[in-house]
Amino acid sequence: MIELSLQKKLQGSHGAMHLDVNLEIKEHDFVALSGKSGSGKTTLLRIIAGLEEAQGEIIVSEKIWQNSKNYLPTQKREIGFVFQDYALFANMSVLQNLLFVSEDKKLASHLLELTELTELQNRLPHTLSGGQKQRVALCRSLMRRPKILLMDEPLSALDMEMRNKLQDDILKLHKEFGTTTIMVSHDPSEIYRLANRVVMLSHGKIMQDGTPKEVLLQTKGSQKFSLKGELLDILKADVIYIGIIAIGQNIVEVVMDEAEAKTFKIGQSVHVNTKAFAPSLSH
Amino acid sequence: MNKIDAKVEAIESLENITVVSFSSFGQALKMMSLELDKNIKIGSKVTLGVKASSISIAKNLSTELSISNQLQTTVISVNNGILLTSIKLRFEDFILESIITLESSKRLSLHEGDTVIALIKSSDLSILEVLK
Repeated sequence: MIELSLQKKLQGSHGAMHLDVNLEIKEHDFVALSGKSGSGKTTLLRIIAGLEEAQGEIIVSEKIWQNSKNYLPTQKREIGFVFQDYALFANMSVLQNLLFVSEDKKLASHLLELTELTELQNRLPHTLSGGQKQRVALCRSLMRRPKILLMDEPLSALDMEMRNKLQDDILKLHKEFGTTTIMVSHDPSEIYRLANRVVMLSHGKIMQDGTPKEVLLQTKGSQKFSLKGELLDILKADVIYIGIIAIGQNIVEVVMDEAEAKTFKIGQSVHVNTKAFAPSLSH
Repeated sequence: MNKIDAKVEAIESLENITVVSFSSFGQALKMMSLELDKNIKIGSKVTLGVKASSISIAKNLSTELSISNQLQTTVISVNNGILLTSIKLRFEDFILESIITLESSKRLSLHEGDTVIALIKSSDLSILEVLK
């Protein structure tokens, strides 16, 4: 069990903010930390890592990492950290980057094999693609067999295909090494695929805590399909009305009745809802 | 969206699938759904919703139909367009709109004051909100 009870005053993007988080995390869980930027996610991760100080307690498997009397420095905490920007040593090869953390050559080659990097082990980071660099960073974070793996938006700089590949690698390593993983992520599909629990932060406090489906599924009443969009236009066609709605990068049409056409205004933000039975999928 | 207030009478679930039975002014209604919100229980009062284009109309209905929801209604108005017709129906306290083709409307020769059956498939009915 990982027990966190942490408080800190922060200067957020919207002025002063009080981070106040009480969280119990089961070992081997994969927790996604989500929430708007400036909600305190990264700060929380850094506090757990010992990169930033805060008041309160961190107890990991009954071992005190910090309380009012004790404070374990980063290097004594059994953590692995993966940053968004890889943070590899530019003058060291892939293998050297791993061995710098720990001399365990067997583990290093096992990790490189798991992530299909064996052939690249003597390359320097600048010769690698973004996805390859992040796989190296992921391997390096596991070289000390950490109890907790902390990842701060590890895949946000990568394209979709590379993300999917890395998600598989992350899940594989999380299971093989039995780490408790805490990952900051904004991406619902990534959270759904990887995490078994989502903690949503807002202004430094936990607003939602549950399974990915409980927290992320956008519903309206019993309608399981709800997307947020902007009403661009309402066209009258015969005895019905057609709403033109922008959802993300897409424009869609929704048939509206007279009452709806009178209720909604062009430019308004709307939710497009339907039953899960109505939409169909195509390639 | 057409709205009908109703009370939850029964909830049957199997894994992620749910069939909910409601009553509204003595009329039984059924909804096919995935998992139900936790705050929806037997006895809950809810507002049901159905799109105008998902309401069919039957006159002198005598065939056996699979459609779960068959509501006795009175035609209040018939607004014929060029291709489509908007028909306003009264069901107890609620006004429902049905959009059908003009051709169908003519075939049924619908007029104000007619008694007709409004047909709604259980998969077209949804819960819009739980009433306090």
